[in-house]
Amino acid sequence: MRTVIADKRWAEKYPEIGTGPVAAEPLISSEHFELEREKIFRRTWLNIGRVEEIPNPGDYIAKDLTMCRASVLIIRGRDGEVRGFHNVCSHRGNKLVWDEKGTCKGTLTCGFHAWAYNTKGELTWVPDEKNFFDLPKCDLGLTPIHTEVFEGFIFIHLAERPPESLREYLGGVADQLEGGGFGELALAKRYRVDEHANWKIALDAQNELYHLPFQHRRTIPEFCVLKDGQFTRLLDVRLFNHHSVYSSDPPEDRVGPATEKLAARFSVAETESRLPRIGSFDFYTIFPNMALLLFRGVSHDFYMSYNFWPQAVDRTDWDIKIYFRPAENAGQRVGQEYFTCLLRDLLQEDATAHEQIHIGLASRAKKELYFQDEEMQIRYFHTVLDRFYAEA
Amino acid sequence: MSAQKLPAEFADLEPFLDWALATERERTSKRLASSMEEIQAFYDYMSARVEAATAYLNAFPLGTLPPEAERLFHLSLSLMEVANAVEMFQNPAVINGFDVKRFAPVEDV
Ligand code: FES
Ligand SMILES: [Fe+2]
Repeated sequence: MRTVIADKRWAEKYPEIGTGPVAAEPLISSEHFELEREKIFRRTWLNIGRVEEIPNPGDYIAKDLTMCRASVLIIRGRDGEVRGFHNVCSHRGNKLVWDEKGTCKGTLTCGFHAWAYNTKGELTWVPDEKNFFDLPKCDLGLTPIHTEVFEGFIFIHLAERPPESLREYLGGVADQLEGGGFGELALAKRYRVDEHANWKIALDAQNELYHLPFQHRRTIPEFCVLKDGQFTRLLDVRLFNHHSVYSSDPPEDRVGPATEKLAARFSVAETESRLPRIGSFDFYTIFPNMALLLFRGVSHDFYMSYNFWPQAVDRTDWDIKIYFRPAENAGQRVGQEYFTCLLRDLLQEDATAHEQIHIGLASRAKKELYFQDEEMQIRYFHTVLDRFYAEA
Repeated sequence: MSAQKLPAEFADLEPFLDWALATERERTSKRLASSMEEIQAFYDYMSARVEAATAYLNAFPLGTLPPEAERLFHLSLSLMEVANAVEMFQNPAVINGFDVKRFAPVEDV
């Protein structure tokens, strides 16, 4: 597929999204933050991690979701099944597991009075049980949370009855990514960024390529502007039920730095792997707070995920994961290190900018934002937000 | 000294052994604590040796490197760490970069 250099294609493709300025207030206001807490994060499927993080029976991950005022425990049962629970003890409500990741031999034991639960969440042991009063032990398992897995990505839904299955919720995104072979790649690097910025400011700032030749003028300036000064255009923008993807192709004549060329030579592998890409770079926004980035790598495809976890209206835990084909030798591992260092350094440029944008917007000097056609997917994200804000 | 620090054919890299660091956090700290002259010297020398180094390392199954080869591996990783300082920023740190303490590698290797 060749990229077409033409203007305003996406507004033409999606006229219902509009072209006018967009309100800045939701990016900084505490009122919207509270709306998001009730109407978005408790009503949508949220990605918690991947199945490879808990490969064996008894493996678990636990995560405090500040935004949802919840702590979530995802555990692989003895039967191999992945289940999600509120990470809360039935005795007096202590948080059951305190570490973010671990393995249990058969039971999880509460640190307060040692009530114990098996990997299916059933209460199996109560010290001094005879001194309680008709304890309904069978009903006192951990409180389950709706947990579903798509292509190895574990999602939870905190509603008592989710309005749709994960597959239905992902809709067109699932159609595109189904059978993607994500499990063949392994986590190579993970970064946690503690940002003093609203989660949507961070996500919006990642959700376009317009900024590349400017904000990333030192790192990857060539990915957006052609040499003759003409702006490149996105290969495609697709809007789904709540989500979106934009795709691009790189400039054909890009000359990378010397070490990149070395790293590219080291990275050549026997086995090809291919993700279900649209272009050579696809950026999915999976509403509300996840992004999935698919890359055509030098010798094989790789992907990244972002989870933007709101901590406060002006504070975000940006969880960045980079997945490569597992290195077969030291040379490949060295080549990967080049690309992860490059990604890390340019995402540092972004993280700094997120905080500066937050300061700028928090001044309320500007009430509205202006999006160009290549920023259509951000505009769309804001229309989805508005839809959720307006729900009963 | 009985134990050699590096494989014999890479003994010329001995002056740079303080770049042989096992974790990304350590390699980043070293990059940030070094002057541009020090980074440039390591970059120039190691760039010319890294292809030979990886060719040597590839003869071992991954994860089974003897200690002196492991140091060579870590030197190669450090070259990747400093490359952007030389090729993109002409500065040890990312220009307009983020506080590295708040941009932390998890499960650091
Ligand atoms: S609160 Fe868990 S055993 Fe008491
Ligand atoms: Fe960026």
